[in-house]
Amino acid sequence: MAAGTGTMQMDPLFLAMSFYRRRKLEECAEVCTQLLKKNPYDQASWCLKTRALTEQVYVDEVDVDEEGIAEMLMDDNAVAQLPRPGTSLKKPGTSIGHGAPTPGVRPMSQAGRPVSGFVRPGTQSGRPGTMEQAIRTPRTAQTARPVTSASGRHVRLGTASMLSQPDGPFINIAKLNLSKYAQRQNLAKVLFEYIFHHENDVRNALELAAKATEECQFKDWWWKVQLAKSYYRLGMYRDAEKQLKSALRDQDMVDIYLYLCKVYRRLDQPLTAVDIYKKALEKFPGETTLLTGIARIHEELNDMTKAVQLYKEVLHFDNTHVEAIACIATHHFYTDQPEIALRFYRRLLQMGVYNAELFTNLGLCCFFAQQYDMTLNCFERALSLASDENMSDVWYNIGHIAVGIGDIQLAYQCFRLALASNNDHAEAYNNVGVLEMRKGHTEQARAFLQAAAGLAPHMYEPHYNHGLLSLKIGDLQSSHNSISKSLEGYPDHSDSRNVLTQLKEDFAAL
Amino acid sequence: MSLFKARDWWATYAGSDEEFDQGCLCVANIDNNSSHFDKIIVGSYHGILRIYCPKPPSFKPDDLMLEVQLQQPILQVEAGRFVSGVDQLHLAVLHPRKLAVYIVSAVSGAVEHGNHYSLTMVYEHILERSAFNMTYGPFGRVKSKDFMCVQSTDGMLSFFEQESYAFGKFLPGFLLPGPLTYVAKTDSFLTVSSSLLVESYKYQTLAVATDANTKEDIGNKKVSGKKLTMDWSFNIGEHAVDIFVFSSSNAPLSIFILGERSLFCLTETGSIRFMKKFEYNPSCFLPYNSVIEGTVNVLLATFNKTLMVYQDVALAWAAQLPHIPVAVRVASFQELKGVIVTLDETGYLHCAYLGTDPSMMVTPAPESRDINYEEADAEMRELQKEIKESTLSSELLPRAQQREDLLISVHVPATLDPVPQSSVDDGDEELFPSITVTVTLKSQAPSPLENVVLSVISSPPLMCNRSSIVFPIIGDRSEPVSAEVSFYSRGGSVPSSLKAQVTATYLANSEAPRVAQTDINFPMNVVCKCCAPMKNANHKVTIDTNKPPVNLAEIFSDMVNDAVIPMAAIGIQYYGGPVVTILASKTSQRYRIQCNVFEGMWLILCELCKRLEEHYKKTKDSVQFRASFMGPLPLQEYYELIDAHFEQRLNQTKYRELLAQRAQQFRTIQRRLLARFKDKTPASLANLDTLLDGTYRQLLALGEAEEECERSIEMVASNLSCGTRLLNLLIKLWTNMSDKDFEILQTVLSPEVSESEDQGWEEITDAAITHLLRTCLAKSAKDQAVGLAAMKIPKDTSKLKKHLALMCDRLNKGGKLDLSSQTGEPFVQQQLQKAVAPLEPLSEMQEEEDETGQLQRVQDGTSSTTDGSLASEISDTESVLSMNNSKPTARLPQLTHPKKLLPDLNKRVLVNPGSEEENMVLKGIVDAAITNGISENHERAL
Repeated sequence: MAAGTGTMQMDPLFLAMSFYRRRKLEECAEVCTQLLKKNPYDQASWCLKTRALTEQVYVDEVDVDEEGIAEMLMDDNAVAQLPRPGTSLKKPGTSIGHGAPTPGVRPMSQAGRPVSGFVRPGTQSGRPGTMEQAIRTPRTAQTARPVTSASGRHVRLGTASMLSQPDGPFINIAKLNLSKYAQRQNLAKVLFEYIFHHENDVRNALELAAKATEECQFKDWWWKVQLAKSYYRLGMYRDAEKQLKSALRDQDMVDIYLYLCKVYRRLDQPLTAVDIYKKALEKFPGETTLLTGIARIHEELNDMTKAVQLYKEVLHFDNTHVEAIACIATHHFYTDQPEIALRFYRRLLQMGVYNAELFTNLGLCCFFAQQYDMTLNCFERALSLASDENMSDVWYNIGHIAVGIGDIQLAYQCFRLALASNNDHAEAYNNVGVLEMRKGHTEQARAFLQAAAGLAPHMYEPHYNHGLLSLKIGDLQSSHNSISKSLEGYPDHSDSRNVLTQLKEDFAAL
Repeated sequence: MSLFKARDWWATYAGSDEEFDQGCLCVANIDNNSSHFDKIIVGSYHGILRIYCPKPPSFKPDDLMLEVQLQQPILQVEAGRFVSGVDQLHLAVLHPRKLAVYIVSAVSGAVEHGNHYSLTMVYEHILERSAFNMTYGPFGRVKSKDFMCVQSTDGMLSFFEQESYAFGKFLPGFLLPGPLTYVAKTDSFLTVSSSLLVESYKYQTLAVATDANTKEDIGNKKVSGKKLTMDWSFNIGEHAVDIFVFSSSNAPLSIFILGERSLFCLTETGSIRFMKKFEYNPSCFLPYNSVIEGTVNVLLATFNKTLMVYQDVALAWAAQLPHIPVAVRVASFQELKGVIVTLDETGYLHCAYLGTDPSMMVTPAPESRDINYEEADAEMRELQKEIKESTLSSELLPRAQQREDLLISVHVPATLDPVPQSSVDDGDEELFPSITVTVTLKSQAPSPLENVVLSVISSPPLMCNRSSIVFPIIGDRSEPVSAEVSFYSRGGSVPSSLKAQVTATYLANSEAPRVAQTDINFPMNVVCKCCAPMKNANHKVTIDTNKPPVNLAEIFSDMVNDAVIPMAAIGIQYYGGPVVTILASKTSQRYRIQCNVFEGMWLILCELCKRLEEHYKKTKDSVQFRASFMGPLPLQEYYELIDAHFEQRLNQTKYRELLAQRAQQFRTIQRRLLARFKDKTPASLANLDTLLDGTYRQLLALGEAEEECERSIEMVASNLSCGTRLLNLLIKLWTNMSDKDFEILQTVLSPEVSESEDQGWEEITDAAITHLLRTCLAKSAKDQAVGLAAMKIPKDTSKLKKHLALMCDRLNKGGKLDLSSQTGEPFVQQQLQKAVAPLEPLSEMQEEEDETGQLQRVQDGTSSTTDGSLASEISDTESVLSMNNSKPTARLPQLTHPKKLLPDLNKRVLVNPGSEEENMVLKGIVDAAITNGISENHERAL
């Protein structure tokens, strides 16, 4: 039987619904377009097409968090300019003391947080001190961030969806009579999601939501959450908070709690967010998104012990949670338990995660767990899987292995290769510098170390190495400068302290 | 993402090229066999009904018990007690316009594989409206009967009490049909509407509500009677995929709603029991009995081919499936109970059970090759050698290609244009002559080159009329393409170069971007013309030669009207610029060039030397022509140029700092204003708006000033460039430098004054000169140890001047720049030795002496500088003859302390004295380098 005859007998709307259910969204939109051509006033197919188009570009708003430079610096929501230790995400270093790893053991990101095991939107980006600094931070393809979140990815999402429609946008929002739609709840909700997710027209979405929530006598939590989403996008966090709190009075939903915590995180009140998460957990015990949320906040506050504890709890409820496994593995790796980390990474591999990062981590774990036979295999696979973005990191780590087995020649070449694939790789510059220093090429070493320090001012290693180098050739002033910078990055670095004491003695002797 | 794979038990393809969805799968003991084992019933959108009785290990044709083509597509199949008076399971099949109930009976064959089923229709209902889905159950709490309810795509619920049609009701506020189910305990129907609500309607309410057969009645609210109201509703906030009611003895009755992103579990009264948010798209689900009291298990399949088993909210098991199911059921068969039956949209029917088979994810092996260790070693050695060679030569430049695809040639005519082109675009009062150059592009490539962009760069005041030309296509070499570009002087300043650069960019046939370049050398008369010589001028330079003076008119024949008339002096004026006068001494073999502007002399001097050389070449004299400069070098004038340039740069940084400051102020005010505007209670702006406006104007003014500054930097940079060329030329003449050395000098004291954000000419030149002083011009080991400062804008130019003077002095004393011819040693090694040198212990006394001595010398130096400059100024104003008398010895400014070390050098004193300490430091460096520099593990996240 031909495919056509079977489907021809069927109601096209039914077929479109079936396509939608099977996530064949384009086919669904296609059928709806045909239906709408026959009858432009067919609300059902209009609604279905809107849903299909929205679903094509849908990203869960809870996860979308892109903090632009302008938002960060024009932030007038911070409660305190100088927050008390451990109460702010902006000063992550303040809570060192309970379970926080030192930068000597675990590398730091630019924001002064330990490198995480899992990349998430918005968490690894630094918070530069001033606008000038933010603009001047080296903007490479890998670190570029939008100036404001009103630009950047959101706009791209909006325009990209329009490209696929040669006749222009499906719904002309400017011509819509929003109050008319607000009266019809079943249309309005679909329309809102379309305006918000597909068109990214937050202002009109907000207007529709405001009218609709009025229409249902402020009793529908869903509209309040949508209002909050719109307010959040517009940077009106306090209004968003108000709406969400009101929504919580109507009904307990996981999403409302998540949005509320997102607002508190943006307001830089991590502890309040944790409280809300905990309250939500009482209502929804074992909800992994909530547990993960708390764990992330602890991780960002440098409280690794608590974070790992929570990640373990996440695994209790969902043992396939990649983020939790990766973060625990990273923690074990940096607390000198490569064997345990290896088990976690191996589990990820068995679960079907198959990328260069994982193999790199496996290789490192194997090496430190003294399973040398597997190390090179893992790195070989990592290299074959690596993309342009992470190729340099893979080579950099191979360089480490080479240093570990004492093959300086190989190490040098690896670091050079890392630099060839990404010439902003500060860590590789530092290590090449150290190798040059050992070879006695003072000038080259200095140049490399200076390059590293310029690219990554947050790292203490290039400063320290440069300080030592300057000391070696007798440039005490430069040495002092560099060592001071090194101590800025890592105040408890004892080697830097020793050198500084020695320098001070020397200066006193002068 | 799962660790394990669902273990295959039995699988088959139900049909091909057919479509299936949610309702197409039903599992029941449909033939009412006494053994109570389940059969799988599958109906397709193409109207084919199949019944399977699976027997492992794999599909055999006799597993298919029935295959029947029905008239209409099958939307849903259900098994229930649909025939009155019979307590057996019957099969209800929902078609778009028909609801049919069949009885399935087994026909046993002679042999085992002869068993098959037969299908007999019991009754059918013709549906007026296109059906969407159906549910069944003991509506109205009837005993051991199942009634059916069909939902149409336009929202009408039709109730069938077995063979008879009961009534139909429209759902209020309907838009798109959602999943539908019946809750026996409360005798109500559940659906999820388009307003994202779970709605519950009592069967009672539905039955007694106003009968509305047509939509119009509802819309016009004409009919009286009870309006259909819902029992309760729950807002789930998302669209639902499916809905199930689960009740068992050891768990409370739960209503499961699978949303697009979450799973909700409600109680029968519509309050939430729990919910679970997903990180993936679920496709279908099925609740089933849990062994633990009070919990319910849920089987959930996802669009990434995973089957999850949740025990309430905790994930109990995850297994990989071979397909994306649209429907999932649990069946018990003769061989195995609790088999998971899944069906995907193409009709792949899969029966599986959970087991610890590892997931299918097998990492593909990396391209394995048998390593021949000897060959690999040889290759490795070869590669190492190559790497070593390439690092030794330290030239990271790629080797030039053998053959370029595109050749550029330029033809500069000997004469200027008859009509100046400059008049075409600017209507200035003064018209300067132009020259039209023909640029010819010739393709060497086998296939035509497309979109070749030719860009012309000329340095001011030279202008060109077309800065960019696009050639759509350049064919083979027989047809070269050419373009005419006119150049003219804009006037007003001294040109820093008589060259223009032509660059063609194109994509080679291998899609690689390529560049072809060439220079255009202009004749002198493009920028200057002849004029009357001037007697007096501020700056003078005298050149000695070893030949009798020549007729200047003959040499500059292109500048004067009549080359025959001998001239002892000639004046040359830059268009819109200063006049340079050349005087040829009648008696001595000297020429003097004088000009009011120092940098203006370079072009004339350069031309003069060049032309004299050519002139004497023609005479075929045995003695080679030599020009020389007796000094002193006009360093003071040159310093002024440097200072002018440097001052403008400092101005620029100052402006930038101010701009940054004001911008910050601007943002701060903006923030304050924003806070005010956001405030719910309106407060006065407290003049913030005035402040904002003022700051804005300041910003604009500063921006303009900065731009102005940039323009003046361009100006002074051009002057500096001219001055540098002049100085380089004079140094060459003064020290009688070879061409090779001169080339190096040109790169060190570069006439290319370029500006970038973080590096300016001063620091680049200083670094270059310092390098020279440390290497080829070094006097002692001490000089070689001078550390290079970081490249940043210096506080003042005194250091640069000092180094410059020092370099000139050493060059004068016979320093050579081109080392390769002398030593023949690789450069790197030499440097290595030098790098080690400073660590050799020096006696403290000696160092101190050095330091104090140096201090004195510095003081001497400053005083002598003033003396020296005065002296040179005096000598400048003297006549040619008296100048000849002045000694070209150490009258140079700031050269009086040739032994002066660079200040950084003193700082190494303290490491040296005790060798113990030195060892310690050395050891510390090595240790530290290993423990801290490298051991850092760079972990990239997933």
